[in-house]
Amino acid sequence: MKEITVPNDLSAAKQPEDLILEELSRCGYDQNVSFAIKLALEEAMTNAFRHGNKCDPCKCIHVRYAITPERIEIEVGDEGEGFCPDEVPDPTLPEFIDRPHGRGIMLMKAYLDEVTYGDNGTRVRLVKVNNKQES
Amino acid sequence: MSTPSTSGHLSGESFRVDVDRRDDSAVVRLIGSCEMLEAERLTECMVTLAQESMKVIAVDLSQLDFIESTGLGAIIAGHLRLRHHQGELRLVGPQKPILRLLELTRLTQLFHVYPSVEAALAGSR
Repeated sequence: MKEITVPNDLSAAKQPEDLILEELSRCGYDQNVSFAIKLALEEAMTNAFRHGNKCDPCKCIHVRYAITPERIEIEVGDEGEGFCPDEVPDPTLPEFIDRPHGRGIMLMKAYLDEVTYGDNGTRVRLVKVNNKQES
Repeated sequence: MSTPSTSGHLSGESFRVDVDRRDDSAVVRLIGSCEMLEAERLTECMVTLAQESMKVIAVDLSQLDFIESTGLGAIIAGHLRLRHHQGELRLVGPQKPILRLLELTRLTQLFHVYPSVEAALAGSR
């Protein structure tokens, strides 16, 4: 897997996204896949920056990725204390629908094939399979 | 970002917000790609505008290519602030990927979606 570590800063967090989107384009992925990966990455990087690293500029965000024509796999890790993703409420429930925050994990799960947390919630693994591959 | 003026805009490299005030309503056009950096500025813009006594804010999504959850949160923050004085935020003309995002998050249950700015301002679907 390729690895890139960036400072805990939203501008710097764009670097891995740009690299990954370029590689998706080279591998021939279509706009729908690019939209899904861009969205999931933005959510994962924002969560790492804000909730994991608590906006601390001394911390870093770690990204690992492997892209093939068959499959996209990305890991985003922060240097925070972790969390329990099961405790994040479903933002589509009527009582939470007008909350401005809390949709990131739900969106990642909606657009990707796998979203799994490890290392006490400090690392998220994102997987999207290319369903257009011929069998 | 500066406070939106009577007709103003906030602009990033690939994202722009045009604000057009019309008496007691406003049209906010989101243009381009609203990414994580721009979303926080959009929140400031929406809340500032909603604090004025607008009856309706029509958020035109027809030229919006991308938005993430913080950007959606900015629109919701504007809605919540507007609701304080019985105002209403209405969405206009999202492209297919943005409409899908709104449907997946069930925000289509929170907001009315109109085919045009004129229909949104008139409240007629």
